[in-house]
Amino acid sequence: MTDKDTRPDAADVVVLPCSGLDKEAGSASRELALRLQERGAALVCPVLYQRSPKRYEKPLSSGRLVVIDGCKTGCASKLAAERGLKLTDRLNVSEAARSRGVKPGKDPHLGAALEELLPSMVDELLEVRAPEDRAAAASELFAAPVEYREFGVDKFVFRVPVAGYFFNENDCWARVAGGRARVGVSDYVQQSASDMVFFEPPAVGAEVSIFDEVGSLETTKTALDIISPVSGKVVAVNAEVVEAPELINQDPYERGWAVELELTDFDSDRELLMDSAAYFEYLQGKAAREHEELYGG
Amino acid sequence: MEMETRPTKVGVLPCSGESEPEGTITRNAVRLVMEKYRPGLVVSLCLPLYLAGDGGERDFAKKVPVIAVDGCPKSCARLATEKYSGPVEASIDVRALLEQWGVTESLSRSHPGPIEDELAERVAREIVRLVDGLVEEGKVEVANV
Repeated sequence: MTDKDTRPDAADVVVLPCSGLDKEAGSASRELALRLQERGAALVCPVLYQRSPKRYEKPLSSGRLVVIDGCKTGCASKLAAERGLKLTDRLNVSEAARSRGVKPGKDPHLGAALEELLPSMVDELLEVRAPEDRAAAASELFAAPVEYREFGVDKFVFRVPVAGYFFNENDCWARVAGGRARVGVSDYVQQSASDMVFFEPPAVGAEVSIFDEVGSLETTKTALDIISPVSGKVVAVNAEVVEAPELINQDPYERGWAVELELTDFDSDRELLMDSAAYFEYLQGKAAREHEELYGG
Repeated sequence: MEMETRPTKVGVLPCSGESEPEGTITRNAVRLVMEKYRPGLVVSLCLPLYLAGDGGERDFAKKVPVIAVDGCPKSCARLATEKYSGPVEASIDVRALLEQWGVTESLSRSHPGPIEDELAERVAREIVRLVDGLVEEGKVEVANV
């Protein structure tokens, strides 16, 4: 099974490339713009825009403008500045390529090395959203229904999401979407620790590294820290859980999330985490061992 | 006394417009002329750079004969040249050419296929015809074409 592509589309993006004809980076800027257009972006022709600006009035007034320059001359940026356009972001293909170890060529042929980088540049441009846009996009993705698998040990039944969640060995999860992650504790934790009575959240704005404490819980029989599976900045805490910690018992993977983070290095974090399937197996073993220790098999 | 020197290059300015498939054809046709048919004789001018006023494109276009290659009757390339560098020696309207050739197929601007490639070849040969005409008229000095 392949993961669903949850990358944001480009329906609200307006792209103004330089489309230069002189150098490879100009050709790449054009190709990037066309790829964004395939994802739903509105494309502004830098030449026609100068001749017929009215043609682009509507998209430019309603979308997020992304400017793509091929080289340091910055023709597209200059055009945007001359016309007083408000940019959401800009990408300089030459700089972006060099930062990835590729030096664009002097002739206009788009070579394989630079072409290989284009998908990551498209992703980068689509990730560059205003904070409120990112939050809205992530909230939408976090609202998607979750499918579960479950297994039983004696009288206990433990649930684990089928996909889309990442776990550490502290039984804390991260649900990742659109550059953000919601973090909480697993069904196993809430059943083992009993009724939640208090949630102490971290400060919004706090910088968190993977495996740092990101809030604490008190239950009727113990206290425990939430160990963050991801690195990032705390951008929200779940006020519903602060008010009613029992939500974690009722719905640990969805309404019972604890904090939301803006991710800073998920690619690295992911290497240290278990995906849903791996955690399911891990938890089966762990629950069986604990049951054996407590009740002798 | 100053000797009059003839230019040794022909400038070709394609619109390379993003909005229409014919813009892509102008872009690809000019590259064919530069790289395949008349390498060394033809220099392409980057219209976005030309319009931005950087890179010496406008001055260069004042010193050499220029052929504007437009995708459609909006004539962005020809009008820009006339505004900033003076009259063009010749111009092509690709859409008019396609009509003349009876091309009725729907064309792609982002994914050129065999039809678009063939049309770029035909437009390139039209540009070559104009370039060679300039040479024959003595407007360009060239040893071997």
